[in-house]
Amino acid sequence: MKKVRLDTTLGAVVLELDDANAPATVANFLQYVADGHYDDTLFHRVIPGFMVQGGGFAPGMNQKRTRAPVANEAGNGLKNRKYTVAMARTGEPHSATAQFFINVADNDFLDYKGPSPQGWGYCVFGKVVEGSDVVDAIAKVPTGSSGFHQDVPRSDVVIRKAEAIA
Amino acid sequence: MRPTLLASDLHLSPERPALASAFRTFCAGPARNAAAVYLLGDLFDWWIGDDQLRDPFDAAVAEAIAGVVRAGVPVHVAHGNRDFMLGAEFAASTGIAFLPEQAVVDLGGTPTLVSHGDELCTGDVDYQRYRARMRDPATQRRLRRLPGFVRRWLARRLRARSRDATSLKPESILDVDDGAVAGAFRRFGVARMIHGHTHRPATHHVDVDGSPRVRIVLPDWCETARYLEVDERGARVRDVPGAQA
Repeated sequence: MKKVRLDTTLGAVVLELDDANAPATVANFLQYVADGHYDDTLFHRVIPGFMVQGGGFAPGMNQKRTRAPVANEAGNGLKNRKYTVAMARTGEPHSATAQFFINVADNDFLDYKGPSPQGWGYCVFGKVVEGSDVVDAIAKVPTGSSGFHQDVPRSDVVIRKAEAIA
Repeated sequence: MRPTLLASDLHLSPERPALASAFRTFCAGPARNAAAVYLLGDLFDWWIGDDQLRDPFDAAVAEAIAGVVRAGVPVHVAHGNRDFMLGAEFAASTGIAFLPEQAVVDLGGTPTLVSHGDELCTGDVDYQRYRARMRDPATQRRLRRLPGFVRRWLARRLRARSRDATSLKPESILDVDDGAVAGAFRRFGVARMIHGHTHRPATHHVDVDGSPRVRIVLPDWCETARYLEVDERGARVRDVPGAQA
């Protein structure tokens, strides 16, 4: 299975990607990695006990351009367990682009229940295999509001570089 | 004269389809022959924003209510402590009218104060603080801006906290405060009050300033689907026909 290392300002996190169960999502994620999209992006939404989200904003909360959305593969049976990584999206099920989140708790209510807008769930496509302590550290940073955004770390948590390592 | 029907604390959720089915039966039957319907809070087990209307379960509930309104029966909805985020889109799609926190309405010729009832639980200071924060328009604006999955997480956390908090508190605090009840009777100058929230259905006869008053607590739908029927002859609890919660 493919792995990607996120070199963050709080340490390295290695994600193992499940391309067998989430092929389109993994291909989409790897393309963003190859394009350097995630380099110098923020973990911009941090909610302890829930998840840490990143991959969409440059420092200063400047939203980055993305490619077309990827189909939602949440029905693949993978669960939103602690330290799994899943795609963020809007209320529309098939709207995930670059932003992802790492679950820091078992969030079963995000799992696929059925093909309805509320039931589609959030597509898990990998898990943290190294650096869960770094994820824990990210989840603990102090947060506040920044413009229209809430739960934003008060001092930037940056992904300096994302690279495929296997 | 056609009776007015009141229900509260239905806590409709996709996890309990039988309840939703009972509610549809209520809307298709008794509600259409009523003078008006009052849903006094916690119609939904959780409501985190009107985008929930895009979910088939919630859309079906809204459609059942819209059917009552289309039949010419006004439906009034009070916000409960779980569904305080019910908003303008929900009102527009169903045709309901929201009630203010406390409202005096004429039921079968008797001016009656109706509310969800949580505002009367003044003994629970923590709860009242939480309630004030959640009903603050600034908080609601902030909540509406959160993405759906964050709001769902928040709704679950609030529900879990509500369960934890209530299981640890002495019984008396979870019921209405006698002083708050007397105060509401005085302020609104009515002889009858109807509310839900406490899940302790009963008819209480109280004396305030030397005059008799009646406080009716609506049945919740945790065990059975029941509603209150009120007309000029009085008030009685009815079962939704064939309903099993």
